[in-house]
Amino acid sequence: MNPVYAPLRELSRSVRSGEVSPVKLAETFLERLETHGPKLNAVVTLTKDRAIRQAVRAEEEVKEGRIRGPLHGVPWGGKDLLATAETPTTWGAAPFRDQVFDSDAAVVERLDDAGAILAAKLAMIELAGGMGYRQPNASFTGPCATPWSPRHWSGGSSSGSGAAVAAGLVPFAIGSETWGSILSPANNCGIAGLRPTYGRVSRRGAMALSWTLDKLGPLCLTADDCGIVLEAIAGHDPKDRSTSKRLYRYVLKRDGLRVAVPKGVTDGVAEPVKRNFEEAMRVVEGFAEVEEIEFTEFPYGAVTRTILNAEAAAAFEEFTERGLARGLTAPECRYGPYAKTAVLAVDYLKALRLRERMARIAEDVMAGYDAVAAPSRATTVPRIDEEFRKSTPGTARDIMGALGNGVGLPAVSVPSGFDEEGLPTGIQFIGRAYGENCVLSIAVEYQSRTVWHKVHPERFTP
Amino acid sequence: MDSEAETLFNLVKEKYGDKIAPGELDEVRKAVEKIVETSMELREFELGNWDEPFSVFKPYRRENE
Repeated sequence: MNPVYAPLRELSRSVRSGEVSPVKLAETFLERLETHGPKLNAVVTLTKDRAIRQAVRAEEEVKEGRIRGPLHGVPWGGKDLLATAETPTTWGAAPFRDQVFDSDAAVVERLDDAGAILAAKLAMIELAGGMGYRQPNASFTGPCATPWSPRHWSGGSSSGSGAAVAAGLVPFAIGSETWGSILSPANNCGIAGLRPTYGRVSRRGAMALSWTLDKLGPLCLTADDCGIVLEAIAGHDPKDRSTSKRLYRYVLKRDGLRVAVPKGVTDGVAEPVKRNFEEAMRVVEGFAEVEEIEFTEFPYGAVTRTILNAEAAAAFEEFTERGLARGLTAPECRYGPYAKTAVLAVDYLKALRLRERMARIAEDVMAGYDAVAAPSRATTVPRIDEEFRKSTPGTARDIMGALGNGVGLPAVSVPSGFDEEGLPTGIQFIGRAYGENCVLSIAVEYQSRTVWHKVHPERFTP
Repeated sequence: MDSEAETLFNLVKEKYGDKIAPGELDEVRKAVEKIVETSMELREFELGNWDEPFSVFKPYRRENE
């Protein structure tokens, strides 16, 4: 059995049956990370010793007949904003390249408990993009490429998490999203990315960019894999007050699926993205009832942007006061934090007050639907060596991103095809709060009827 | 640049001017203008006195005490 590009259910079956040993799996993916990681700028630190230690333990447990769950013995990579004891946690930023914490992040602990094997800390945009980056070269490890083209960007800020999964360097990865940071790399790398409901996954030990917007979630080869990983990492954590006590179990809904499409959702969207979205919706119409909806005019973007600016300014206050931004990679990030301190307290509070209105609008419009569908991003994949506004200009407003992140709704992005340059496009399904199983049900059914997730970049295919 | 943006930009310059290169000041000015524009969008939306922020403060007390 070749474990590279194998879905998690298949890997899990092979580990359980003894067909594949966890040590062999770890060695295979460590070797791929070492060989291919630098070609993409996807890896910050290889956690080789830890991985082998964990793999040996997992293998002994298999021999004893103790299987912890579907991730037992499966290697993974974590965005380098997840704290790990022993190895550096750089937050993608040169000023933090030697930072070492004395304990693991909650999500790392949970995956340890599930028997998964941490193989690498993966590249990310410096400080998760909170300083206002405008180009791919905004990480001390260099711009991360999508495995589909060395000339194009992997997306961000969970750049390495997207690229490593798409190149088959790890079976799955964990990323984080404040606004777009899971869905963007999922889109650009042609894989699945799940942004869970805010509070579904503990943020303890993860770098804070915006306390009320940050979410952690999986990037995987398929939506089904995302559900498996989410079940392992979700759950209440008394040390993260935002976490929900609602139990999460990954269960698919098969019948009566209903999908809404916002009026004008493709206005201003690049032609190949629009074309693939429309084709994807024709597939969705084959198994779900599809209706058009309309979101009322509301300052969605202004609410989420103001919360993000104010919270990022506060989260990095000491960093800013000490002038450490000067050590960042992208020139625009070196002065980015200063303007954010100009958000007035009364405006931040106005945004928090409007947030409730926004949540009610979303719930009113989305009630009765399992998901709202939209293109994952409005443009095609940007070039790696240019500012985004030059390589992929566009006029579309990211209302679904502002709304979904602003009120903490789950969303999954899966590939919807390719453009003329052979670069992936994506479709996202956004759900009501705690509606991960609904969005996953749509995405899993969609992927059972399409082939995009089965196509892998040739130069990384073994 | 409107007077609010100008005032806020001068405040940022006063606080952090020693950390911002002269060539970067214009970019910081544009970013402050954008922040004020965004705030204006929020201010246009009327709310009532009773519309609270969507995060509720809860007094803290250790369990079992």
